[in-house]
Amino acid sequence: MALPWALRSCLQRPCVLRSRRAPLGGAAGAGLILQSLSDDVYQNLAVEDWIHEQASLENRQVLFLWRNAPAVVVGRHQNPWQECDLGLLRQKGIKLARRRSGGGAVYHDLGNINLTFFTSRKRYERMDNLELVVRALRALSPRLDVRVTDRYDIVLGGRYKISGTAAKLGRTAAYHHCTLLCGADKSLLSAVLKSPYQGLRSNATASVPSAVRNLLEEDPALTCERLLEAVAEEYAARHHVDRHVTLINPADEAVLPGIHRKTKELQTWEWVYGKTPKFSVSTYFDLTYEDSVLQVKVDMEVKHGKIEVCNIDVPEQWLPPGLCQELAKSLTGSRFCPDEVTVLASAWLRTCPRDDELRHKWNLLCENVRMLM
Amino acid sequence: PSAASWGVPAPPRQAPCTRAYPGVPFSCPLRTGAPRGSRKFTDKHEWISVDNGIGTVGISNFAQEALGDVVYCSLPEVGTKLNKHDEFGALESVKAASELYSPLTGEVTEINAALAENPGLVNKSCYQDGWLIKMTVENPTELDELMSEDAYEKYIKSIEE
Repeated sequence: MALPWALRSCLQRPCVLRSRRAPLGGAAGAGLILQSLSDDVYQNLAVEDWIHEQASLENRQVLFLWRNAPAVVVGRHQNPWQECDLGLLRQKGIKLARRRSGGGAVYHDLGNINLTFFTSRKRYERMDNLELVVRALRALSPRLDVRVTDRYDIVLGGRYKISGTAAKLGRTAAYHHCTLLCGADKSLLSAVLKSPYQGLRSNATASVPSAVRNLLEEDPALTCERLLEAVAEEYAARHHVDRHVTLINPADEAVLPGIHRKTKELQTWEWVYGKTPKFSVSTYFDLTYEDSVLQVKVDMEVKHGKIEVCNIDVPEQWLPPGLCQELAKSLTGSRFCPDEVTVLASAWLRTCPRDDELRHKWNLLCENVRMLM
Repeated sequence: PSAASWGVPAPPRQAPCTRAYPGVPFSCPLRTGAPRGSRKFTDKHEWISVDNGIGTVGISNFAQEALGDVVYCSLPEVGTKLNKHDEFGALESVKAASELYSPLTGEVTEINAALAENPGLVNKSCYQDGWLIKMTVENPTELDELMSEDAYEKYIKSIEE
């Protein structure tokens, strides 16, 4: 366990951590390898923010190793509705997070490891980092067919993606992080990263889907634990850093002052959903009522996760005049969120006359609108 | 990768202006495409050009080359108040998500709507069509803290090594 003062001062003061292998007189050998004790995606993303902002990286490198309990992580400028099946996430209790780096959507679970390479902006070099990872893999499994592509993916056997990369460039510091699939739940991964939502139009950054494979399928020796060790070892060698791994607790405000606020911010609706670039929804659904099937057309414009414009077109006379417009009007200004529809739907039901048929139709309509979100 | 690799010639290097007559403030009628105000640069590779009290902000050619193809521009709302050095948005490129920092203190008056559909304008035309935001200039003296175009050219030569 790191002592609170040791970690912070190590990262902030221009102190030099010399290992026995550091070149004589070379301050470039300063660095740290950190590993998170938490599997909470928000806490771990908060640690990344903390290191990026607080650490003095001018002459220092930091490697951060982390794993998450099941979560989907979208890139900074992505649209979660376009990237994943939010209904399935909610059903399975899988968390949704938005990271601050760019890139596409990924599924994390404990069978996936995350590596973050922190450097000064000048020393930002993704290829170098990924080649380090490949060396670590080959150290454990010499005949492994792995290589880095020009998209900065790592592919296995020439066709299966086992690692994706994203990065963030700040004023003076930068970080590059990547995933590594050891033994993740691939069927769940495919299911959650498949969006069922139709009719979405936006200029959000889109993911590039790839076939994936777990390293454990290739070689049972490639467990998460062994991989974490191998990467740490390779990092220590490459950057002349002490190979000792310092464990950190992302919930410890004493070690990481301000970490709670950062963690909270990453969990807010405003960050996760509200940061979605403006998008429009233009779709329809079929309502089966008694013996007929009716088509309902929905058009919405969503900005900052809130519905700015809403049109719901129901065939004439199925609902009393004006009721449809009333639903559209209540939705305008609300979050594009199924819970909000539930609240609005219930609110109207309380004022509605005791007309079972009307109530049933209303519920049917609202339920289908909910499913768009 | 240089701008030429997209089949687009790099913006012409603009010759420094010389005084036509001693004692008379010079203007640069030969500066093609440049607005009336001269361009100033930050050490983080943003530029600002002030005209009639409104500053137009963008990123330099050096920056757009280093960034690679821009795929998304995240810009602030009109009316946002910015202090010098405040983060006002981000550019996502194939390389990374990169923050944008305000060169001056002021209020956002306009954002470049063309970038929503065509973020690549930042690469193709970083000094003209690829501008990012326009803002008021609350403290004109802050402009003096920024680099002139010549000083910026020297600066990037020094960091390119």
